[in-house]
Amino acid sequence: MSDSLTHVEARPAPSLQAHGITSGYGGVPVIRDVSISVGPREVVAVIGPNGAGKSTLLKSLVGILRLNSGRIVLGEDDVTGKPPEELARRGVGYVPQVNDIFEPLTVLENLEMGGYLLKPAQVKARVTEVGAVFPQLPPMLKRRADKLSGGERKMLAIARVLMLDPKVLILDEPTANLSPKLADSLLKEHVRRLAALGKAVLIVEQRARAALQVADWTSVLVSGSVRLEGPPTELLQREDFEELFLGAGTDLAASKDTNMEEA
Amino acid sequence: MELYVAALGFGLVSMSVIAIAAVGFTMQFGITNMINLAYGEVMISSAYVAYYLNKAGISIWIGMVGGALFGAVFSFLLNRIVYAPFLRKGTSHIGMVIVSLAVSLMMANVLLPIVGYYSVSYQDTTGGLLRAGGIVLTTNQIVIIGLAVVLMLGIHGLLRYTRLGKAMRATAANPTLARNCGIPTQRVVDAVWLITGALCGLAGVIAAMNSDSFAIANGAGFLITALAAAVLGGAGQSYGAMIGAVIIGIVTELSAAAWAPEYKEVVAFGILVAVMVLRPQGLLAKRGALAAAG
Repeated sequence: MSDSLTHVEARPAPSLQAHGITSGYGGVPVIRDVSISVGPREVVAVIGPNGAGKSTLLKSLVGILRLNSGRIVLGEDDVTGKPPEELARRGVGYVPQVNDIFEPLTVLENLEMGGYLLKPAQVKARVTEVGAVFPQLPPMLKRRADKLSGGERKMLAIARVLMLDPKVLILDEPTANLSPKLADSLLKEHVRRLAALGKAVLIVEQRARAALQVADWTSVLVSGSVRLEGPPTELLQREDFEELFLGAGTDLAASKDTNMEEA
Repeated sequence: MELYVAALGFGLVSMSVIAIAAVGFTMQFGITNMINLAYGEVMISSAYVAYYLNKAGISIWIGMVGGALFGAVFSFLLNRIVYAPFLRKGTSHIGMVIVSLAVSLMMANVLLPIVGYYSVSYQDTTGGLLRAGGIVLTTNQIVIIGLAVVLMLGIHGLLRYTRLGKAMRATAANPTLARNCGIPTQRVVDAVWLITGALCGLAGVIAAMNSDSFAIANGAGFLITALAAAVLGGAGQSYGAMIGAVIIGIVTELSAAAWAPEYKEVVAFGILVAVMVLRPQGLLAKRGALAAAG
């Protein structure tokens, strides 16, 4: 039997696909031959231990890192090697794990920069729409972004990327630095709701169990390669699932929702 | 006492000149991360552009526009042709400083055979004298102060209220995220070099106007004064550079009155050294024009 599990339900046609991508820093590969895809209304979670290459994978998908080999396809178009600003224009939104906002700018200015590609006349209306998704933000539009709490900051980072109404949303550990309660509501309410709106959501999560609860499809990345993928329910049934994590030095049992992860 | 009141008047003019130069210099660093040590040479080259226009019978005010245009185009090309390729190759920060120092030396030595050693001065009517309580200023000096105020307000408006200005601050704060937003950071950086280059050229012409005569050797002094004001205010902070210019302008003129005008640059440099020791992050390390209002 292959490591790829049998599909329970058909997955949607992919919005974004990576075909066998290898990339890293300074020519040294961190991820090798990774294939992954995400489609509309779908939440795909990439889980795996520290140093598995999860962030590297996302940075490669959004054009920050150049690929050593492999292809990235957005809808029908090959976007391999396209710069980040072009991918943003084509509907890929990315929220990095750190440096996810413009700290010296106000909340409103952050949103305006998120909507940089909109026509200037549309920006105001879009700020109102995005403010409706995150009701905490409108009262603090004039505040400097670095004065926000951890939770507010992450809301702003996601709101910023929603300004362009992206088709594909790529979130790198959005729950890092959040309290367990906030992390839970972020994943269950916001992430699920964004998928329900028709977006393709690709999320990296260190809290494996929390990720499995919200994801439709999960890829387990270990040492730069996809070791296992499938629907979460099937993954949890696999005998070697916890072993993969344990073997790689992460205690899945310890990463329950109540466990606050370090950044 | 009268001497000090008069010095205060000169201080107003000095701070205007320094503010224009220092804001341009600090914006280059704040947004493009480039400590451009060739800044003083671009200033003096622009002053010479205005000089030759002036010598051909053109008004110095038009010559000033010519100097600003030269500064803008030259700085833009300097970045595109020299700095940007080095940055793309991953040259370190200190490496880039050395590159700009090399550019500065090359410019001075290319300029020398063209303009010569000798001091020159603009042919212009200094205009009438205006007196207000012990302060005596020429109309030209009044125009320079007014110009500086308008430019500072303009820079404030640009950074705070325009799409381009906000994109400049976003690019300064987080260039990768700016690209993820779809901001064409390359074009933003081009705009920064054009705008700061114009400020640099303008400051060069005004600084030359404000001294009785100028020569090629003044470029280094221009750089030091701008650098001192920029660092005093907090490197990369536009409002900081404005405050730094006010302090350096006043203190150097008062020291000239109390001591000797020859030591103005020494005093400017002394302030710079004192800041480095006492408050290396500068006065406005956390807030300034590149940041939002608190």
